[in-house]
Amino acid sequence: MKKLLILVLMIFAFFSTAVLAQSLFPNIPKATGNEHPQGNEFMRINHMDMLRHERDMTMREGIRDVDNSLAQCISCHVVKGTDSKPVTIESEEHFCRVCHDFAAVKLDCFSCHNSVPEEGLKTSFKHPDANGSLNAVMAYLEETAK
Amino acid sequence: MISIVYALLFYVASILLVVGLGMKIWRYATTPAPLKIPTMPAPLTKAGVGFRLFREVAFFESLFKSNKWIWLFGYIFHVALLVVLLRHLRYFQSDVWWWVKLIQPFGIYAGFAMVFALSALLARRFLVERIRYISSPSDYLMLLLLIGIGASGLAMKFVSHTDIIAVKIYMLGLMRFQIGDLPTHPALLIHLALVALLMIIFPISKLLHGVGIFFSPTRNQVDDSRTKRHIAPWAKKLEEGEDR
Repeated sequence: MKKLLILVLMIFAFFSTAVLAQSLFPNIPKATGNEHPQGNEFMRINHMDMLRHERDMTMREGIRDVDNSLAQCISCHVVKGTDSKPVTIESEEHFCRVCHDFAAVKLDCFSCHNSVPEEGLKTSFKHPDANGSLNAVMAYLEETAK
Repeated sequence: MISIVYALLFYVASILLVVGLGMKIWRYATTPAPLKIPTMPAPLTKAGVGFRLFREVAFFESLFKSNKWIWLFGYIFHVALLVVLLRHLRYFQSDVWWWVKLIQPFGIYAGFAMVFALSALLARRFLVERIRYISSPSDYLMLLLLIGIGASGLAMKFVSHTDIIAVKIYMLGLMRFQIGDLPTHPALLIHLALVALLMIIFPISKLLHGVGIFFSPTRNQVDDSRTKRHIAPWAKKLEEGEDR
């Protein structure tokens, strides 16, 4: 029993000398623009609920007039690459990916949405014609229905 | 303050779990099995015994043969618990393994399956009169403890989130003997306290069936009593002494 105690203490002593590498932790990029009115802690915990695709609201009822938009997140939380262009979700430097990779949480926003800000656009759809214009969407649908 | 209390709690719980489990395994391994009592039909070779134990651990064969309802809920619970545990690996590694990432979405379903199966096992303790008669407080306690862990975990996913990045940083720190800041989210604190309690009581509870199965003479013995004499060391000594 005594030997066991000594062994445990030795293991403790060995590990406590090891320095905690800072690279273990996600290096969260700074954002531009105003601070979140609800505070950063609130956003860290609740951003997923605010962003959740309210399928019935947006797709079936056509309500797009919501307070929170992914396009707005993207425009402040943009990360510039070495070529000083915004990096896409393909890059590990992307704001969303830094934490999502760390926590192993899959992101599926960007299979439809744009992961970089675009000038003058209110929504973040990848398909250029789909941005806000119902006519463009209808035209696209008719075109693909043929 | 809470961060330090929880850090100490987890260090103590980890030591008690590892040392306690080690001592129990040592005790099981050195306990003599004087009689040849495999449940027949038993395998004729050592490899056969390995296969039998594998079936026992992977499919709960004996339980399936004895009671289908307990097997169904017990098996759902154990498999779900395994998936949930694997899902939680992400909190303990800075570079998460690819298959742990792959398992993430299934872990959520497994969380529900786990609580469902545990509730069914708890209902059995109340509703089946025979079982109610033989149930001891520990039978209820283990089920309630596991249900509490599952429910508080699901609550963090579906009711009130906590900052899992902060939790992971805290856990990675603990593993390197550095105490960071644990978020003081009620569901998180309940979840972690119950997990620590589970770790502490594991080596002194019925949960030991997880290691005990490997030391069960009725399961781990070869059916070779006609080809090889089974004799315990102490019995052999007695026999050698007969010539005196």
